[in-house]
Amino acid sequence: MTATSSAGATPIMDRLISRTVQEHRPLSVHFDLTYRCNERCVHCYLDHDDHGELTTAECLKVLDDLARSGTLFLTFSGGEIFLRPDLYEILAAARRLHFDISLKTNALLVTPERAVRLRELGVRRVQISVYSDIPAVHDAITKVPGSLQRTLAAIPILLEQGLQVKLACPLMRENLLAYRGVMALAEKLGVPYILDLTITPMMDGSGGPLEHRASVSSLLPVLRDPVLHACKPQPTPQAASAMNAFQPAFGSAVSSGIESSAYEDLPCSAGHNSCYISPYGDVFPCVQLPQAAGNLRTEKFDDIWYHAPKLERLRAIRESQLPICSRCEIRSYCERCPGLALMEGGDILGAYERACLLAEEEARLAGVVAPVSALHREQETGFVQNALKTEFASLAANSSSD
Amino acid sequence: MSTAAPVLWQKNPALAWREIDDETVIISPQDSVMHELNNTGSFLWKNIDGDKSAAELAELLAANYEVTPDIALSDTQALLEEMSSRKLVVTVPATGGVTT
Repeated sequence: MTATSSAGATPIMDRLISRTVQEHRPLSVHFDLTYRCNERCVHCYLDHDDHGELTTAECLKVLDDLARSGTLFLTFSGGEIFLRPDLYEILAAARRLHFDISLKTNALLVTPERAVRLRELGVRRVQISVYSDIPAVHDAITKVPGSLQRTLAAIPILLEQGLQVKLACPLMRENLLAYRGVMALAEKLGVPYILDLTITPMMDGSGGPLEHRASVSSLLPVLRDPVLHACKPQPTPQAASAMNAFQPAFGSAVSSGIESSAYEDLPCSAGHNSCYISPYGDVFPCVQLPQAAGNLRTEKFDDIWYHAPKLERLRAIRESQLPICSRCEIRSYCERCPGLALMEGGDILGAYERACLLAEEEARLAGVVAPVSALHREQETGFVQNALKTEFASLAANSSSD
Repeated sequence: MSTAAPVLWQKNPALAWREIDDETVIISPQDSVMHELNNTGSFLWKNIDGDKSAAELAELLAANYEVTPDIALSDTQALLEEMSSRKLVVTVPATGGVTT
């Protein structure tokens, strides 16, 4: 018997994902500490009023439960997390419980002193929302004059503490052409970025933010931009070099795991090895799938995670069994989201227009000739059948009148 | 006669880690590198608490796994060295020496 490190044929992250998906372990949790915010982004899907956030003690209890359940990756987000006066207390507890800690913030409240505390508390990565490199564009989205300047000022402060910074840029009508500027900004700062084409309805299902969503036709120049790898996370320079240094003997860089083969026939990781917790203690499969499976004020996390009927039903879904999408010839180009399928199409198992249009465009870009999604093919067939029925009915009526 | 105090081992407090099914995944936040320990590595990891020397860890290993004391010690030392080179563990001096 030896005591050595193990390194399987697959990278560690892949093995970890496979294992946790198979056993439904909550490997990755997104925990919103507040919905309050010091920006008022036009596309935001949150109600910023405080409807009774978890107390500090309740948050710490949640962290204890998550650690016991095997959660490793913990992302604190909001709202704006720095508006929680107990943020450092919560981070300190998370550090004691050995989570891998990431934050999402607009960084308006970052100061050198706060950055030092984040580093001391073991935060690994900070994701910052940047909508444009042009102040007028960014500030018009956040509705806070001077916000871009303040956000950008925070980035070197965080980097100076050795924290990894990543820019996140949701693309919408207001900033659609700003992505090149954000890419250049990220390059200049030496940080990775992610462009996100997803704008979601409000969590109560109302569609206000969707008014800001860019139409698929207006996205074409973005999708066709050869220098752009939209929505594809890039490894940080540090992570990439570390991966080279340690593979394959012992370690590998932390990756997003998004492309893992463990998710092959699953719609996504939601409810399988990841979930979302709201500031009020509701447990959702994902922030984009706001169907509460239970509440941590009245139930233990494990009881919700392993036994909630909503999660059990979600776990039973397989892409190969979806009524429409399983027949789709361009499925491999599709980034269908079950949450958006529910919120936009009314059916978690269904197809929805936006995903189909984007998939058709992606397929076209990849060289597929005249790609048509299963939904659109069905609609066309239905249209033709209806037209034929009408014609037959008309012919029948004419012949009987003759 | 007095000898130098034994070197005690403790986990690098900056690390994120979780034991999942008798295996342990460790992440170094500074460089985002992931590491994985197998069952016996995880056993030692759990017992690395700043209070034990390599010899004491090896004793625990030998007592809990079918392995001779010699092999337990050499395996333990090898793993500690490997983990030390990757900054997963650090040494702490014991308070006071050992008198023989």
